[in-house]
Amino acid sequence: MSAHTPQSPKRDRLRRVYQWLLALYPHDFRALYESDLLQAFDDRRSEARFSGTLGGFRLLLFLARDFVTAVPMARTSQNERRGVEGIMHDILRDLRFSVRMLVKNPAFTAAAVITLALGIGMNAATFSTVHSLLLRPLPGAEAPDRLVQLYREWPGIEFGANSPPHYQDVRDRSGDFLTDVASWYFEPISVASDGRSERTMSVVVSANFFQTYGVRPQLGRAFTPGVEDRDPGAHPVAIISDGFWHARFAGDPGIIGQTVRINGHTFEIVGVTPPDFGGPMSLARPPVYLPLMMANVLSPGFDRLASRGNNFMNVVGRMGDDVDLERVQDGMSVVLAQLLEELPESYEGQLGHTVVLQSEAGIHPSFGNAQTGMSSIMMAVVGLLLLIACVNVANLFLARARDRQKEMGIRLSMGAGRGRIIQQLLTESVLFSVLAGVAGLGMAQVATRALSAFQPPIDGPWAFGVEMDGTVLAFTFAVSIMAGLVFGMAPALQAARPDTAAAVKNGGAKKPGGSRASRGLVVAQVALSLLLLVSSGLFLRALQAATAIDPGFEEPASLAMASVDPRLQGYDEAQAQEFWDRTLEDVQALPEVRSVGLTLTAPLSLGSSDRSVDVPGYEFAEGERQSLHYTYVSEGYLEAMGIELVEGRIFTRSDDAEGPPVMVINQRFADRFWPGESALGKTVNTAGRSWEVVGVVETVKYQSLGEEPTEFMYFPYRILFRSDMILVARTSGDPQVVLQRVQEIVRGADPDMPLYDVRSMEDHMGVALLPARLGGSVLGIFGLLGLTLAAVGIYGVMAYSVAQRKRELGIRVALGADRALVLRLVLTEGMRLALIGTVIGLAAAFGVTRFMEGMLYDVEALDPVAFTVVPLVLIGVAALAVFLPARRAARVDPIGALKSE
Amino acid sequence: MYARNGLPMTLEHDLDDVLPLSPTAFHVLVAMANGPRHGYAIAQEVESLTDGRIVMGPGTLYGSLQRMVASSLIEEAENPGEEGLHAGRRRYYQMTPLGSAALRAESERLLRAVNVAQERLGT
Repeated sequence: MSAHTPQSPKRDRLRRVYQWLLALYPHDFRALYESDLLQAFDDRRSEARFSGTLGGFRLLLFLARDFVTAVPMARTSQNERRGVEGIMHDILRDLRFSVRMLVKNPAFTAAAVITLALGIGMNAATFSTVHSLLLRPLPGAEAPDRLVQLYREWPGIEFGANSPPHYQDVRDRSGDFLTDVASWYFEPISVASDGRSERTMSVVVSANFFQTYGVRPQLGRAFTPGVEDRDPGAHPVAIISDGFWHARFAGDPGIIGQTVRINGHTFEIVGVTPPDFGGPMSLARPPVYLPLMMANVLSPGFDRLASRGNNFMNVVGRMGDDVDLERVQDGMSVVLAQLLEELPESYEGQLGHTVVLQSEAGIHPSFGNAQTGMSSIMMAVVGLLLLIACVNVANLFLARARDRQKEMGIRLSMGAGRGRIIQQLLTESVLFSVLAGVAGLGMAQVATRALSAFQPPIDGPWAFGVEMDGTVLAFTFAVSIMAGLVFGMAPALQAARPDTAAAVKNGGAKKPGGSRASRGLVVAQVALSLLLLVSSGLFLRALQAATAIDPGFEEPASLAMASVDPRLQGYDEAQAQEFWDRTLEDVQALPEVRSVGLTLTAPLSLGSSDRSVDVPGYEFAEGERQSLHYTYVSEGYLEAMGIELVEGRIFTRSDDAEGPPVMVINQRFADRFWPGESALGKTVNTAGRSWEVVGVVETVKYQSLGEEPTEFMYFPYRILFRSDMILVARTSGDPQVVLQRVQEIVRGADPDMPLYDVRSMEDHMGVALLPARLGGSVLGIFGLLGLTLAAVGIYGVMAYSVAQRKRELGIRVALGADRALVLRLVLTEGMRLALIGTVIGLAAAFGVTRFMEGMLYDVEALDPVAFTVVPLVLIGVAALAVFLPARRAARVDPIGALKSE
Repeated sequence: MYARNGLPMTLEHDLDDVLPLSPTAFHVLVAMANGPRHGYAIAQEVESLTDGRIVMGPGTLYGSLQRMVASSLIEEAENPGEEGLHAGRRRYYQMTPLGSAALRAESERLLRAVNVAQERLGT
C-alpha cells in the first residue's frame, strides 16, 4: 500500500492518522479488512469532493461519522447489532436535530450561550489567575516541588530574611539534606548601554543560583560556583533575562561578551536565561541577574556582605533524594544549635528557621492566609456566578421544554422511551455548554491578556504572567460539561415526566405559578444573586472605609514625592550628602514649596524596615515584639508631612554625625515604654548606639491604612546616612508643577541622575489601596454581572409563567374579576418567591461573610449597609420583573385568551 | 422439496431470517446484481442508486459486507482481473443464491407496497 503514488505530505499524514485510528476496530475485523479499508480511504481521497484542504476537512468529518457507526457495529455480534447501531444512530440524529434547533432559534441560542459563556469565561479567567500566581509550580525551574524557602525566625517575625554570612554557613552545613542552597535579593540598578540609561530591577544572586533552580541559560553560561562566589568585587559579570535581551538588544545572538554599565561600573554579559524562567518569584520578571559578590560594588559605602545581623536575602534550598520537609527542619535545628554555640551573640534571639515548600509559598509565605483566602473568595464568587448563569439557562431550557411538551407527549404516546427523550434533551444541553465553553474560553483569553498587560503602579519588573495552559483548558472543559448536565438535567426530567402524556390532551394547561421546578429556580436565583451581591458589597464597603481612613498626615493631595539615589551614579557618601544638601536648598527656594524633607521609606509603601531595640528599664516579656519599624529622615520632613509634634523638638540641621545621637518617636512608642511619664530624655539602645529621645510626634499610618497603631522611630539621616532617599515637599498649589521643578533641579545637578516614583502623595497612596481597589472593582464587576443575570432570569421566569397562565387569567377576567385583583394575584405570587429567595440568600450570606472578616479593613461582616441595600435593590429588581408581565396579564383580552387555546 | 417461488425449502427457511432487508443491504445487493463488484465500486453504486442518501464510509462498507457474508447473502468472488488502479489487489464480492432470492423477494414486496400506495393516492 505504501507504494501508492503520488502523495502529498498532508494526504500522507491524514492517511497515517486513519491507519492509526483503525485500532478502534476489533482485531479480527482489522486483520480481515485493514488493507481494504485503507484502499477505500485512498479511493475516497481521490474523489474531487475530498481533495484539497477543504476536502480534507470534509473527509475528516465523513470518516468521523463512519467511525461512530461502524466501530460499534463491528464490535457487536449479529444479535445485538440493532441495539447499539440504533443508539449510535440516535445520537447522531440527536446531534443533527440539536444543531437544527440551535440555528432555528438564534435569539434563544445567543441568550443561552452568552449567559453561560460569561459564567464559564469568568471561571476560566479566575482559575487561570489563581493557578498562575499561587498553584502553579515555579515556571522554568527543574522539579520545583523539591525546592524549599528558608527564613530566620525571631520573636514576632516568622519569615525573617537572611544575611550573607548566615546564608554561607547554612549552605556549607546543610549538605546532608539539601543538595544546593542559593540566595537572592532584589536590588534597584541603573543600566546604561549605547548611551541609554534606565532604572530597573536586578536580582543579586549567589553563584549557584541557577544550578539550584535547575535552570540552564539559553545562551552563554550560568555563574560559576567556586569562582564567582569568592573575592568580593572581582567578578563584574551579568546574566540577562530573555525578555530584556529581546527588548534592549533585539535578541542579538552575539550578546555574550558585550558589556553594559551598571551603576557606573562595567559588567560583562555572560549568559541569557531561557524564556520559560521568569525569576525566583512568580509575580516579578527581573531583567538582570548579578553575582552576590558584587553587592558592595552596586551599593558602595556600606558593606552588605560582612554583617551577620544585616538580613535582606531570600534563601532557597533543593532537597536531596528521600528528604522531606521534616528532615530539613530537623537539619536546620542542628545547624542553628552549632551556630549558637559558636556565635552566641549573633544567634541568641533567633528562635529557629521557618521552612516553607516553594510550591506552597505562593507570592510570599507571609501573605499566607490572605492570598489563599482572597483566591478562595474569588473562586467562590465566580462559582456562584456560574451557578446563576446555569440557573438562567436551565430556566430558558425549562421554558422551552414546556413549549415542547406537546411534542414530547406525542412522542411518548407513540412509544418513544423516556430515556430516549432525556437523551435527546441532554445531547442538546451538552452541545450548548460545549459551545458556551468555547465562547467562554475566548472571553477568558481576553480577560487574562488584559490582566497580563496590567502594570501595578509600583516601579519594578512586576508581571502577573497570567496564562492559560492545559490545566485551565481541562478545568474549563469539565466546568462546561458539568454546567451542561446541571442545567440539562432538570428540564430533561421535567419534560419526560410520566404525566406528560396528559399534556397532549389538555394542550398544556398550567398550574398557577408555573411548575415546581421553575419556582425552585426563581428562589435559587434570588438566593445566589443575593449571596454574590452581599459579598461584593462588603468588599466595596471595605474599599470605601479604607479610603476614608485618615492617614494621619495632612492633605496628601498637596504633597509631592520623588525618589533619587545618587549612589546609582557612583557618588560616594560625601558627594551624595552634598548633592542632597544642594537639592534641598533649591527645592525649598521654590515659591510653590512650603516645606521639604527627605525620608528613607515613604509612608504607606508596601515595604518596611524594622530594627530590634532595647529600652533600659523595660523588660520584654517572652515572645513580645522587640523589633520596631523606623525610618531615616532629614530636618523638615515631619513638618512637610504635617505630622504634629506632641512634645520636645523635631530634628534640625545640626543633628548630624558631630552631635549626640538623638531620635524622635511617636506617641504609641512613648505610651508603650513609658506610660504616664514624659519620654523626653529617655534612652533607646539600637543600631549599636544609645539614642536620646528629643521629641514625640503623633501616631500616623505607616504601612497600610488598615493597620493598628504602631510604634515608630525616626532617626536623623545626617547621623545614619543613606543616599537612596525620597524627597517630600509640601506645596501650596498643584504638586505637578513642583514635581516638574524638582526634576529640573535634579537634572540640573546631574543630567544622568535617575529619578523615579515621581508623583503626588495621593497617587502614591493609590498603591496602598491597590489590593482593595483591585478586589473591589473585580467584585463590583462580578456583582453587576450577577445582578444583570439575576434580573434577566427573574424577569424570564415571571414573564413566562404569566404567559402560561394567560388562559386562566383570561377566564378570571371574563368571569368578572377586577383587573387590579389579577395584577395583585400575579404580583403576590412573584414577590413571595423573591422573598423566600431573599431569606435563604441572607442566611447563606450571613454564614459566608464571617469567613471574609479578616480581609476587610474596617467593615463588620454584618455590615448593615451591605445587608440592607443589596436585598432591597434585588427585591426592587424582582418587583419590576414581576410587575411588567403582571401588567400585561391584567390587560389580557379574555375572548382572545380563550380563543387562542 | 420445493415450495412457492420454486426455491429449495432450506432457502425458503433462511429467507425468513434475512427478510426484510435493511435499506443498505438491499442497495448493496442491487449494486452487484450485474455481477461481482469490489468494495469501493459497491459504495459508489449505492450512493448513485440512492441519489447520495446512503454514503458508506470505509468502516460502514466493510462492516456491512462482513454482516452480509455472515448471513450468506453475498460471498467473496474470484478476482476477474480487471484493468484499473490496484484492481489486482481488490477483494470482489458476488451474490449468493440466497442473496439473489432475498433481493427478488424484497423487491416484490416493495413493488406490491408501491402499487397499493399509488393506487390509493390516485397517481
